[in-house]
Amino acid sequence: MAKRIALAQLSSCWGCDQALVDLHLKLLDVLPELDIVYWPAVVDFKMKDLEALPKGSIHIGMVEGSCRTNEDVHLLKVMREKSKILVAWGSCSAYGGVQGLGNQWSLKELLDRKFMEADTITDPRIPDKYLPGFTEVVQANPDIVPFEVALPGCPPTSDNTLEALSALISGSPYDLPDKTVCDQCPKVREDKHITEFHRTHEGKIDPEKCLLDQGYLCLGFATIGLCGAQCPTVNTPCKGCFGPPPSIKDHGAKIISALGAIADMDPEELKEAFPDPIGSFYFTDYGASYLSKIKEKQRRSGK
Amino acid sequence: MSTVSPKSTGEGKSKSKKKRKKDFEPRIVAFCCNWCSYAGADLAGTSRMLMPPNVRIIRVNCTGRIDISFILDALYQGADGVLISGCHPGDCHYTSGNLKLRSRFVLLKSLLEEAGFEPERVHLQWASAAEGDVFAEGVTKMVERVKKLGPNPVSKGG
Repeated sequence: MAKRIALAQLSSCWGCDQALVDLHLKLLDVLPELDIVYWPAVVDFKMKDLEALPKGSIHIGMVEGSCRTNEDVHLLKVMREKSKILVAWGSCSAYGGVQGLGNQWSLKELLDRKFMEADTITDPRIPDKYLPGFTEVVQANPDIVPFEVALPGCPPTSDNTLEALSALISGSPYDLPDKTVCDQCPKVREDKHITEFHRTHEGKIDPEKCLLDQGYLCLGFATIGLCGAQCPTVNTPCKGCFGPPPSIKDHGAKIISALGAIADMDPEELKEAFPDPIGSFYFTDYGASYLSKIKEKQRRSGK
Repeated sequence: MSTVSPKSTGEGKSKSKKKRKKDFEPRIVAFCCNWCSYAGADLAGTSRMLMPPNVRIIRVNCTGRIDISFILDALYQGADGVLISGCHPGDCHYTSGNLKLRSRFVLLKSLLEEAGFEPERVHLQWASAAEGDVFAEGVTKMVERVKKLGPNPVSKGG
């Protein structure tokens, strides 16, 4: 029997869908097993079609993107109600995504910057008509409704999604690995004694050696190994877009803890090497971090 | 093992809870290294030195064992301040654990600043096993600092 599947898109770039469609002919292996009941990126179903479905009637619900608008929250809750297995698909869904970095500011500051103060604006006003309204903060979706499965990534590779879907279709469990990007990286590692950090465009990278050993902030050591070390393999430092392995609660805290242990540097120099620690250490998961949650509570308590 | 310090017993706890609304008594988590500061705290206690009863000590084998997530978790759960006390640089029982923590600590401070959370709520001090007075003074100053800042906004109303 074909499994009923719904794929919902919240605030995001829809790159996860792109990665899924990039499976090309391999999609043909999966498609006959699936009965698509909702997928606005590809087929013309409306919200009312999804709302009309009976509770728990969707076998696999894939949710991509994070909740930046109230409509996103509504769609997420409808998906939860209708789905037996709900999958947090992509880093936006699992951790809040890049847009979670916006949690450094209050909603008012964000709206002012975007709609009132941006240089290109000629008619400054905050749009409010015919719109669902914004959420105060970007939270990780699993902090809003419970999820059965998480598949992080920005985006999860085509093969990641295929693997997860195949497992879920056959009814077997899908668990995230506890290994890191370093475990998948082909570069040669040595004992780490970093005396200086470089930005990506500085110096010349030795393609054989570990990027971190050479002083480039490659976050593979604290990032879950699902991507096959795509970036380090082509000499681009890992930005940590897949988030941490499942046993780690706070990505940036782990990165800082590790950096402190491997940097043979004067503390002040180390501080100067990272002028934007949130941007450097929480690329796609600031929305799920302790600090973002602390600040959210702080704003709610009205301080 | 002997008691942590005479000031961190249950008695102080219940008192500080009752008084909380009127005049603020901060709850401070202190991570102490087993080899220096924990023994220093012990010395402060056995020497009957006076210090405020606001600190709850957690013993770690080395400050190098402290993961930044411990500190953030404590703040998230409502600690008004986090004090870390370890061996002086060069004195680490494991040669360099405290230096590793020191590097982490500057990055943590810079992270807290960027996020707009008062960095003064976390503090790092060095106190050896013979420096009960340094430990007691560090605790006193920490409590003063946090009292000035007021309660952790996270714990207010929740």
